[in-house]
Amino acid sequence: MTVRAVGGELASPPTGRLLPRRLLRLGRFWPFVPAAVLLVALFFLPLANMVVYSFWKTVLFRIVPEWTTANYVRFFANETYLRTFLKTIVMAAVVTAAGLAAAGPFAYFLVRYLSRRWQRVILIATIVPFWTSYLLRVYSWQIILGERGFLNQALMALGIIHEPSSIFVYNNLGVFLVLLYVYFPFAALAIYASLEKFDFDQLRAAQDLGARPDQAMRRILIPQIRPGLITAAVFVFIPILGEYLTPNLVGGTEGVLISNLIVNFFRAAQIPAGTAPALLIALFVTVLLVVFRKYLRIDDVVTRV
Amino acid sequence: MERSYSRRDILRMGVAGSAGLVVAACAGTSPTPSPSAQASASGAAPASGAASPSAGQPSASPGPLNFLTWSDHWSQPGLDRAKTQAGIVVNITELSDNSDGFVKLAQVHGQLDLVSADALWVPLYFDNGLVQAIDINSVDVASELYSMAKQFTFWTRPEGYLGYPWGWSPIQIAYNVAQVTPAPNDWQVLIDPKYKKRVVMENQPTDIMLMSARATGAKDAYNMTDAELATAKDWLTKLKPNVLKLVSQNSETVAALADGSAWLGTGNLGMPDRVKDAKGPQVDAYVPKEGSIGFIDSEMTVKGGQNQSRVIPYLNIAARADLVAQNFIDNGRPLFNEKAYQVLVNNGHKDRADRYLYNQPEQALNMTLKGPGGRVQDYIDTFNSVFGG
Amino acid sequence: MDVLEGMPVSRYARLTRWLFRLWGLIVIAFLYLPIAFLILFSFEDSRTIGLPWAGFSTRWYEGLPQNPQLLQAVGNSIMVAVAVAILATVIGTMAAFPLVRAGLRFPNAVRILVTMPIMLPGILIGIALLIFLTRVFGLQLSLLTVVLGHLVFTTPYVILIVAARLQGFDRALEWAAADLGASPPRALREVVLPLIAPAVMAGALITVTLSIDEFITTFFLIGPQLTLPIYIYTQIKFGVTPEVNAMATVLLIGTLGAFGIGAAAYSQGRRLLRLRRRRS
Repeated sequence: MTVRAVGGELASPPTGRLLPRRLLRLGRFWPFVPAAVLLVALFFLPLANMVVYSFWKTVLFRIVPEWTTANYVRFFANETYLRTFLKTIVMAAVVTAAGLAAAGPFAYFLVRYLSRRWQRVILIATIVPFWTSYLLRVYSWQIILGERGFLNQALMALGIIHEPSSIFVYNNLGVFLVLLYVYFPFAALAIYASLEKFDFDQLRAAQDLGARPDQAMRRILIPQIRPGLITAAVFVFIPILGEYLTPNLVGGTEGVLISNLIVNFFRAAQIPAGTAPALLIALFVTVLLVVFRKYLRIDDVVTRV
Repeated sequence: MERSYSRRDILRMGVAGSAGLVVAACAGTSPTPSPSAQASASGAAPASGAASPSAGQPSASPGPLNFLTWSDHWSQPGLDRAKTQAGIVVNITELSDNSDGFVKLAQVHGQLDLVSADALWVPLYFDNGLVQAIDINSVDVASELYSMAKQFTFWTRPEGYLGYPWGWSPIQIAYNVAQVTPAPNDWQVLIDPKYKKRVVMENQPTDIMLMSARATGAKDAYNMTDAELATAKDWLTKLKPNVLKLVSQNSETVAALADGSAWLGTGNLGMPDRVKDAKGPQVDAYVPKEGSIGFIDSEMTVKGGQNQSRVIPYLNIAARADLVAQNFIDNGRPLFNEKAYQVLVNNGHKDRADRYLYNQPEQALNMTLKGPGGRVQDYIDTFNSVFGG
Repeated sequence: MDVLEGMPVSRYARLTRWLFRLWGLIVIAFLYLPIAFLILFSFEDSRTIGLPWAGFSTRWYEGLPQNPQLLQAVGNSIMVAVAVAILATVIGTMAAFPLVRAGLRFPNAVRILVTMPIMLPGILIGIALLIFLTRVFGLQLSLLTVVLGHLVFTTPYVILIVAARLQGFDRALEWAAADLGASPPRALREVVLPLIAPAVMAGALITVTLSIDEFITTFFLIGPQLTLPIYIYTQIKFGVTPEVNAMATVLLIGTLGAFGIGAAAYSQGRRLLRLRRRRS
């Protein structure tokens, strides 16, 4: 008897009625069709249109079909852009590392020490604050971290510092803190979704067999939740490359990231001039992902067995 | 460079290109310019004339009106009145930047009926065939306006007047009286090393470039020469260490002045009162002696708007003196409705109105008006070089 | 609540447990600290959100009912977020299966392509879609176009998170279900979906989070309407007032309340169901 599971793949070797091979192959992919239609029609085609525009000029605020590479050349001609881009990558990497370091133990705490019901309660409690305006929450951070803010007053009241300090906000530290805050829930949810299925008996078994706790973690736990960790890293690292609101609000003149510079062109209605560097960055990230694809590859361990 | 193309041409080409259709061929044969009416240069098509809705004072048919505007251009009482008096249901969409509005209207055209824009952006909208002129003198409520507001040269075309004048404001410098001494009167105070990390400005790169042009005495703020641009860049480089942050909303400037983390801030009229309202220290404001930049807002009738016939009737209801006076009280910047000034005076607000230059509309013309620049990309590039990470 | 309760625990295990609990607490505090200030400043008397504290007032709350535009904006935001959450979660979850299982020739290539919408600044996606939807499809801008725009950058999150969960998923369970005679839909309902539920839920939560506060793509794609972020982000000239803090506070309490009622109703319903089953 042939049983087709979700996604159309054969659940067990086919024995009975055989579908033509091609049909079967197609059948496997049908659940992907809506997403493919969505992404092609609403993302890749519009994007391709923009790729063409990025090689055109803007004359009197209108896109004019005269070919030019000036929009791309600018990115390399003025060292500000490359420098800011490198800085953005460093910032994204640091926030990603900190995000995983913070979200990992948090997800572990949820899964290991709480009942399933409480896990969900805490998860929802974690994310619901993010359903209020981002702008308002960042204003709150300004109130907390500012020179005359809550943190300074608290530290002074505790006698830790004697003068209000301006090191917490309107610089790179401020951007780091707020980005960590903004992206933490995404990292936490991604890791949680992966960790939740982990069978903790395996850890105990490993330890019973003489593994130290850290060895058990490294050899048993981490490999199994790697897809979740990678997803979490993607959810933090990649959107930060397109971030401009946070650096704008808490970065001062020091915390500027590459997208701020790009958005400046859009905000002056210079669409091709803004599109070109945005595409360059997307291209760069894509190349990065392709180069490191083997670290992205996580095979379906169980089906391979 | 005088070549012009209709949006349709451009899109067609874009789609063609995007489909990967012989990119090289497109590059080889440069497209023929299509002198469509949409893209026709200013004054070239007097035939279109003034728009019909302004020709008389037609009574409005009940129905919707789609309005893309700033938050200080409408009020709930105004919308309510339009609904009860004429059955006009105003659908508001808000915009943040002139450029955003321009990009959007260029795509949706008649899906909107009434759009707001700043001073020199208005002719750009018109020259791109996005909006149409009105016969301002035949608009009933326009009789309440200062007459000078109906004669701005940059809004006057053979076809008529390009928009209904709404309000204006110069960009001022507000300063903490206790911390900034002696009292400043120019742009240079912003680059005084005494005020490291004490300056807050609005994050509008084009505006900041215009300010630096004013501060360094460039002849034409919109078209600085290379030498002037280099001077302006030096000025910005000196400014940067003083800037605490470039804010996205005026309330952030007010908050920074109020909590004392900033001593100097740029923004529109009324900051001293807003800081006072926020229980902040005493703050004064001035227009720098080198001259400032500023906005003059207009409401423009969209060309081909689906509900165009309701534009003038709506203005005739919602731009009335009593509502405008209330708008002034709420938002604290001068408007062009002269009759509303009388309303304010009669209700004991003369002091405040005069402080906010309500009775001096001619001041609006002393500013470098906000608009799309000539060397935009160079300006942004210069700004980015200085303020990059 | 503790899963390990009642088991013999070493001192070491107790210490770790204590440390993890402390960390959980710190994280929650970190996430809620700005919310506390957001709520606090909804009671600020002055028009400006920020220190110094200008006095206590409930005037911003009292003004809410008189602001139909703001209320409608909130309603629109919720409508869009719910639609986006449902569509993105369904489309994304479906797509994750073939991505992981169908033996794609270039799984990583597809994965990278799927990641692209979250790589580009929102303003580019917004403008690209605006041009395309209005000019190529000739669509009138409305809340529908906003939903389409949000789907573009939210669906990838769902695909990626569900795919991560599916990796290493024990296919043997499905086969076992099949061997025991479960039809594919039944195996899906009773074996597969419960197993991926946490990822689907996480995806839905992320989707709502992204949609409900999106400004720039919304601005370019919305018709003659407002959403809450548009209302808030466009107060450029004069700045937001504590009115929006008040609105956000009401929303937050409403959301938490809805979750609370939903959870209570759910557990109540299950108890009733169990009772009835036991009786029959």
